[in-house]
Amino acid sequence: MDTVSSRTREAPLVMLLLTLVPSIAVAVRVADALWLAAGAVLVMTGSSVARAILDGARPAGTPETGTPAADGPGEEDRTARWLRALVISSLLTAAFEAGLLAVAPAASAALGIYAPLLAVNLLVAGKGGPDPSGASPLRATLSSLRNGAWFAGGLVAIALAREVLGAGTITLFPVSGFGGTITLSPLLDQPVRALGFAGGGLLCLGYLVAAVRAVLARKGSAAPRAEASR
Amino acid sequence: MTDTTKLPKGGVNPPVELPGPRDPGIANAALPNRATIPLLQHAGRPAIRLVRPGDVVSEGMLVGKPDGPRSAAVHSSVPGVVAEIREITLATGERCEALEIDLGGSFETSGRPRAPRPWENLPRADLLERIRSAGVVGLGGEGVPTHLKLSPPPAGSCSLLAANGLDCEPSLGADDALLREKPAEIIEGLRICQLLLLPARTVIAVSERSADLVQELQRLVQRAGMNTSVVALPARYPQGHEQLVVAALEGRPPSSDPSSVALNVATLLAVYEAVVLEKPLIERVLTVTGSTVAHPRNLKVRLGTRVGDLLDECGGDLAGTGKVVMGGPMRGVSVATLDLPVTKRTLGIVTFSTVEARTPQETACIRCGACIEVCPWGLQPTRLFKLIRMGEEAKAGREGLARCTECGCCSYACPSRIPLSAILGEGRRRIVGVRNGGGSHG
Amino acid sequence: MAESIRHAGPGDPATSAAPHLRVRMSTSRMAWLASLSLLPAAAWGIVLFGLPALIVLVVSIASAAAAEAAATLPRGKVTLGDGSAFFTGLLVALLMPAGVPAYVPAAASAFGILVVKQSFGGLGRNWMNPAMGGVVFALLSWPGLLSQWAAPLGSAAANAAVPPLEALRAALAAPGPRDATPLAVLARAGYGFSGLDSAAVGWVNSHVLAPLGTRLQPGTLDVLIGHVAGGIGSTCAPLLLAGAAFLLTFGVIRWHLPVFYIGTFGLLAFVFGGLGTGQGWLAGGPLFQVLSGSLVLAAFYAAPDPVTSPLMNTGKCILGAALGVLTFFLRFFGSLGDGVAAAIVLGNCISPLLDRWMERRKVQELGQGVA
Repeated sequence: MDTVSSRTREAPLVMLLLTLVPSIAVAVRVADALWLAAGAVLVMTGSSVARAILDGARPAGTPETGTPAADGPGEEDRTARWLRALVISSLLTAAFEAGLLAVAPAASAALGIYAPLLAVNLLVAGKGGPDPSGASPLRATLSSLRNGAWFAGGLVAIALAREVLGAGTITLFPVSGFGGTITLSPLLDQPVRALGFAGGGLLCLGYLVAAVRAVLARKGSAAPRAEASR
Repeated sequence: MTDTTKLPKGGVNPPVELPGPRDPGIANAALPNRATIPLLQHAGRPAIRLVRPGDVVSEGMLVGKPDGPRSAAVHSSVPGVVAEIREITLATGERCEALEIDLGGSFETSGRPRAPRPWENLPRADLLERIRSAGVVGLGGEGVPTHLKLSPPPAGSCSLLAANGLDCEPSLGADDALLREKPAEIIEGLRICQLLLLPARTVIAVSERSADLVQELQRLVQRAGMNTSVVALPARYPQGHEQLVVAALEGRPPSSDPSSVALNVATLLAVYEAVVLEKPLIERVLTVTGSTVAHPRNLKVRLGTRVGDLLDECGGDLAGTGKVVMGGPMRGVSVATLDLPVTKRTLGIVTFSTVEARTPQETACIRCGACIEVCPWGLQPTRLFKLIRMGEEAKAGREGLARCTECGCCSYACPSRIPLSAILGEGRRRIVGVRNGGGSHG
Repeated sequence: MAESIRHAGPGDPATSAAPHLRVRMSTSRMAWLASLSLLPAAAWGIVLFGLPALIVLVVSIASAAAAEAAATLPRGKVTLGDGSAFFTGLLVALLMPAGVPAYVPAAASAFGILVVKQSFGGLGRNWMNPAMGGVVFALLSWPGLLSQWAAPLGSAAANAAVPPLEALRAALAAPGPRDATPLAVLARAGYGFSGLDSAAVGWVNSHVLAPLGTRLQPGTLDVLIGHVAGGIGSTCAPLLLAGAAFLLTFGVIRWHLPVFYIGTFGLLAFVFGGLGTGQGWLAGGPLFQVLSGSLVLAAFYAAPDPVTSPLMNTGKCILGAALGVLTFFLRFFGSLGDGVAAAIVLGNCISPLLDRWMERRKVQELGQGVA
């Protein structure tokens, strides 16, 4: 399963289809983006915490799995871990879906197939399988939350740009007295519809990635991980 | 209208405002008071110096002997005394020793016509020796020692011997003038080469612009009993290039095919003088021209004459000149000092005014395809120069970079003023140099 | 005793690489000549549509210039002098309806310069035609605004604000007899042509053609000289062709792409154009189709853009034919206006592929000569 996951990551077209397309399809309204990000954070965090607890934390400095010396668990054990991880992320995704249907059915309808697709996405991005780093539950939680924050931030930024310019509105959550949609009237008459299409989404995504990379490069840190570009 | 046309393939027609010599004849340049004779005037190893400062030299005396087979002899072009030996940097960037000879003493040979010596019955080896010892090299600019080119090949392998009467560069007219003034001698030189190479076919190629020469040359050829045809080729640049002359005559794409030999008519004249008159190569005809030259003309110049002196003689306005080029306007080298001497490889001297000499600003390649249209060798300069700039010379080599002769057509035609031929030439030197271990240019 | 030569200018060395001659045509001169050759068509557009057209032109060019300045300033050198931004702005404006709100051409030009051209590296590095990219962006963003055409000034005829192509489509969508030529269909549908046209066509019919037994359709003059609703600069074919002839003479563009483009499209329109609307084979009205919409403008000014069109002439011919096919399908079976801008953008996508094939072929040809 490791190899399937890594080989998939090396196939650019598959990566595009699995990661970019759902994100772009969803990130047209701010509210939908927020829901999807929430779902991703939930599933990612839940999975990594469960993994950390079940697979057992290892003290720092222990070599990773793969080297013969430290390869404690055998082949069947690895398969078992994979299956366990799959079950966990699928359960969490299903839970998220069910919850979303109960709390915000409109959003659930808008997300459509992309909510359950979260599980596949995470697998492909290498976050659904066994965690070789052997982090403790706390560290796993924090790391997942950080990844989730990147993901959410990127998705919301794209959705914001596309909704504001492409539809003239900002759709948030209905709270008492507030209908949930902010309209920006000058743009509402003739918004830039091109941004609402997939091409416009890719455009926003591209510029966002470029901007983030430029800022990070200036700060001297490494390029953001795959999550930030999803 | 872009000044580009098909050659058989490619080539350019530079604007006709470029002045050529007004008088197609050849005048004698004044003798230099001080001649600078470099020991490297050819393609190959520099000659080995035979004289020291203070030695008295006579006109035509051997002052440098060839260093091995890929080298040529160097003779003093004036009588006098060797004043000093110094190291100079030639226009091409090569460094070598040069003799500074102060003019003095009597002229034993010039002014007095030499008696023709018999040669028809000489064995080939003797003919080649006369050519070699006279220091004859290709006078079309490259300077390949002619005895190498004429060394008897395996029987029947020379398919074509061409006499190249086309001036290589626009606005140069020395070869044309030679064909008009000394056709009989040139044809005799051609006959000598025929004897040495035994080609299947011999052709004299002249420029379309001088089509009037064809009849006269045919008459002389017939009188000499030679099986030779005379053909007029298009007057586009760079039709005068050796490979393109052969390609046009044989009707095939250009290539460096050793079974076809093309010799410049000036070289043929030198061959005649070496074999028949036993006269060493001490002078050559070149064209001095340019927008700041008051009297552009063809001059017969003693080797070692200073460029600055020639410009003075032709009324060059140095104050208004921004650039002086040794060679032709398309492939010549611009020089930073007028102190350089005329050598066997100097085709001409061209000046440019300060306005004309401004280096144009390079802008982005817009993929217009003009460079591809004009390349006579069928290369794609726009692709090759990008590969070279990225450091991928090897890949460029697989796409034909080694064929580039730096004719300059691509740079000429480029509207973005990218120095394509310079980049291609640099890239080519990197791959060819690596292959041959830094050998000389062919 | 070395005597040096006076330098050509401060900091300019006296030595430079060969060759020492260059063609007079330069890249910026090509761009400015292209803009110059579009001025007659632009002037005609202003005459035809008045102040709104002028505003669109000014706004579009200003926006393109501002975008170019903003993008190149951080890199140190503002490249407005090379004329390409001006040309992009001008071309975008000429494809717009005259009455369009100013932000549309402004956004289209800015998009073209900032996203299509500068984001990919500036002049020479873009793969999509900046003007066409901007126009497609506008078409996708504001489809309604870009189909509200303005009537030519002084034209009080019915349907004057509908371009002939749209009117033809509407007329053919309605049931009724199928006439042979598009102009006949329009006449039957009551499309109004100008007074000048009726006068001229009437005169020619009565004095010249009646003895010969034929007659010109009303509307011929209007369509020929472009006195119809449409893009600001895309209606007048004669002026555009004159500008194109100017460019061809100077070698700024080559004939291969435009000729193959218009030829292929005309042929396809003629043979197959009538099929979709029930007029049968060989009934497409090629002349009308070629003169409608922005085909002539795009074929001579947008498609042959050197940066985005194939390098070699063979490739140009192939792309021209491909563009003709694409435009035919997009116009007759698509929904995006006259199909030209989208076709060119699609053609931009296949242009590098054509280049790659042609490059390989040329290198192979080298190998066939003696090494």
